[in-house]
Amino acid sequence: MAAVVVHLPLLLMQLPLKSYDTNFHIFFASHYLHHWFDPWNAKWYAGFSQTTYPPLPQQWIAVLSRVLGLNMAYMAVQFAGILLLVVGVYRFSRLWLSPRAASFAALASVFLGAESFLVYSAGQLATTCSAPIYLNALPYLFEWLRRGGWRSFIKATVLFAAAAAAHHATLLFGSLLFAVPVAVLVLLDREDGEATSVPAFVARTVAIAITAGAAIAAVLLPFWIALLRYPVTQTPIPHPSRANYILSPQWGMNYFIIPYGALILVLPFILIRGSSVVRLRPLLLGFWVAFLIGLGGTTPAGHWLLGRAFEVLTMERFSYWASLLALPFVGLLASELVTRFRIRAAIPLTVAAALTCAAAVAWSTFHPADASDFKVDSVAAWLNRDGHDDFRYLTLGFGNKISRLAVMTDAGSVDGEWNSGRRLPELNRYGGAALTSSKYFGIDGLQSLRAMLMHANRYGLRWVFVRDPYYDPLLDFAGWRPVDHLNDRTITVWSKDSVPPAAPVNAPQRPPRWQGILWGTLPFGSGILAILVVLIPEKRRRAASVDTPSVPEESFVSGGLVA
Amino acid sequence: MKGALLALFIAAATVALIVDGTLRPIPSALAYAGGETLLRTPSTPEAAVENLGDQIRLQQWQKAWSSLANKAQFTEPEFVHDLTGYFLSLRTYAMLDNFEVFPLHESADGADVLMKLYWASVVGPFEESRQLHLVRQGDRWLVEWPLVKERHVPPQVIPVDYMRWDVINRGPGDDWGAQNVAAPHVRIVDMRPINRAEGVFVLGELLNDDVVPAWVSVRATLVAKNGAAIASEGSFDMILHRLLPKQVTPFLIRFPNVDLSQVDKIRMDPSAELVSASADPVIEIQNQKYNPAPDASLTGQLSSQSGEVIGFAHVLSTFYDRNGQLVWIAGQYMSRALLPQTPMDFRISVPQDLAGQVSSERTEVATFSEDSE
Repeated sequence: MAAVVVHLPLLLMQLPLKSYDTNFHIFFASHYLHHWFDPWNAKWYAGFSQTTYPPLPQQWIAVLSRVLGLNMAYMAVQFAGILLLVVGVYRFSRLWLSPRAASFAALASVFLGAESFLVYSAGQLATTCSAPIYLNALPYLFEWLRRGGWRSFIKATVLFAAAAAAHHATLLFGSLLFAVPVAVLVLLDREDGEATSVPAFVARTVAIAITAGAAIAAVLLPFWIALLRYPVTQTPIPHPSRANYILSPQWGMNYFIIPYGALILVLPFILIRGSSVVRLRPLLLGFWVAFLIGLGGTTPAGHWLLGRAFEVLTMERFSYWASLLALPFVGLLASELVTRFRIRAAIPLTVAAALTCAAAVAWSTFHPADASDFKVDSVAAWLNRDGHDDFRYLTLGFGNKISRLAVMTDAGSVDGEWNSGRRLPELNRYGGAALTSSKYFGIDGLQSLRAMLMHANRYGLRWVFVRDPYYDPLLDFAGWRPVDHLNDRTITVWSKDSVPPAAPVNAPQRPPRWQGILWGTLPFGSGILAILVVLIPEKRRRAASVDTPSVPEESFVSGGLVA
Repeated sequence: MKGALLALFIAAATVALIVDGTLRPIPSALAYAGGETLLRTPSTPEAAVENLGDQIRLQQWQKAWSSLANKAQFTEPEFVHDLTGYFLSLRTYAMLDNFEVFPLHESADGADVLMKLYWASVVGPFEESRQLHLVRQGDRWLVEWPLVKERHVPPQVIPVDYMRWDVINRGPGDDWGAQNVAAPHVRIVDMRPINRAEGVFVLGELLNDDVVPAWVSVRATLVAKNGAAIASEGSFDMILHRLLPKQVTPFLIRFPNVDLSQVDKIRMDPSAELVSASADPVIEIQNQKYNPAPDASLTGQLSSQSGEVIGFAHVLSTFYDRNGQLVWIAGQYMSRALLPQTPMDFRISVPQDLAGQVSSERTEVATFSEDSE
């Protein structure tokens, strides 16, 4: 209910549309809406494969958009992710805590700063949908490893596959940060007299690792094929989540203070209680590793642990995972405080939670993804008339509006926002991200832009929409001419007359038809199957065991706070 | 006891990692911090200049100006204008990408240092050198910034009398690319491919043979012996795109990683569109001088004879041998605005291996101002 009260109005206001990546997901979804079984999208990078990004949330948006429209379908899927998170945090916390403490943890997840930051500022739909599915899978993993039982095995496997179909990185790193602590917990609980032998534990672990691995490999087969054939070898692109948050305090605010909020005050409790209670130590260690990596370049830990992946991944998702791993501790602390101090604890806890959530939501306004809000409707209309879409286009100074524009126009661009999907050498050779923001990537970004403009004829690149006069001298000296003005002359259309119409790029990355059919069937099918299998009732014995804490509740309240 | 040890270990390791990450930042973190670490104090001349360079790179103008020994001699805006230009120019939006510091001389209370600044501008990188004097104050070194004040032209009226061509389209609904008239007649009057280590370069000259101005481009396609196209490239910014009647422009087209021995023939495709144009601004080349090897270059001065400030200028020079054959084409963007009747130096380098062949040269200037659209 709290999730409905807090997040539903914000989503109905379509607040995430201002975030960094929301329009990116809507753009992908719009392609699935029109080309469900053809993942080759010709609108960006002169053509790229959408099999380079797991599709589940975007395919759900495409399905729901037939009723709700793309924007509201996005909000609906995001809302489902938020609701699933509450359930997932409760179920995950129950592995470690009493029902009462787990309830507090679930309630805290509604106000989690990292969740609000990812939803309203970052727009990371995939991460915020995948993690809840993963959290919901972990209790089944626990049940399987501890007691066996094919229902748990099947449910865990299907949910893992669905989580991977939503976001591969969550599953990859979740296996280490979330599943390993759960597996260790199974071993620790075994010491309390349970009849799970080590050989059985090992056999079950191997069985589910192989089965889930095979399921994930099958569900995302075109993704793995694309990754193996065309690994991401492009020059690393700078991202401020890899900054040192002390030397660059503005990014510390963005990637540490806002996502963690009042959780920062809980860090000593997490450390003390997590180390003093043996059962909580795996959780503490999982949290600690995620926390360190989430600090980006503040410590060398992420660089050491991730290697080259550190230069490819963004670090805010690790802070998000660290927050999720911290929630059981938050639930435990809240439970103890409320038990002891009643209303005197409830009020400050509520205020802290509300302020954390409010700050993260408000951050999307204080520190917007795109400082200058403007409409791209006129640009889309211009491209869609008089055969202008026979040529490709490029925008300069449009920020993340290029995804919105791509949704609205039929024309193709040589630019885009999905860096791992691009294959054009003019883009991959340099360490710049989207061409529309070239100037922010220094010499690398500008060299990439020059290279692309030099090869305008090759790609049928005739139109450049400029919203930043910074780029005007380059266009003029390179032979482009202003031919029109849009949006009260704030956008100039530049043209190069000698450019031939755009021809399809004969890219080897284009997936064959059978991959398109798999891509349109298995990931979405895994989502449907996940919904169906969780409806299979648990055996009564297991249901009873879930309702009973694995360890007597007093074991959790032995800390100094209550003593 | 074990729990306390674990907590202590995690806390200590976290603090140690944070301290290490802050005192010795990893490259990606250092880039966002502008190369600035907590440790560096200006205890040496090099450190003082490096701090200044970092502040300029981060555009922390107030901090940079405050750190100067001679800040009383000029204001902060004057300091900023010295670096970013007094008028709209390439410098206005350029960002310092990198810098190097070369110690020249050091004594107990003074030092001289050469600072090379590498700027990233929209048309490409440009370099600038400043010789800095530093003074010692206690255990700190402070930079004396050699401010270059821009000359100001006295108020005056400059009469202009220049040719101008306007194009009238069919009507207000006329489309962007539709031309009612035949394209201006242009032709390539000279063309020569040369082979270099970087690849093949196609040099040439294009003449506007018409009586109306033209917007021109040239593309070249290298064709192999089997008739297949090896590569097709355009002149990009190594050409004057806006050509007045009877005006000639040089052009240079690069084909990286191609050897001339692979090429059977070269197909040239000049294109021209009718455009509005004017002969203004008139740029005069003064004191042009070819400096032979070593360090061969063409130096001279640009002087605007018109009354407007020219924000962006691109100098293109064509070099010929004694037979009048094309030897090389090179260019330089001016980083500062060209003020009326105020000469500005330019210097265009010539490759050492070609320098000996140069007998004469011709220089043209392309200009762009925001209001010229």
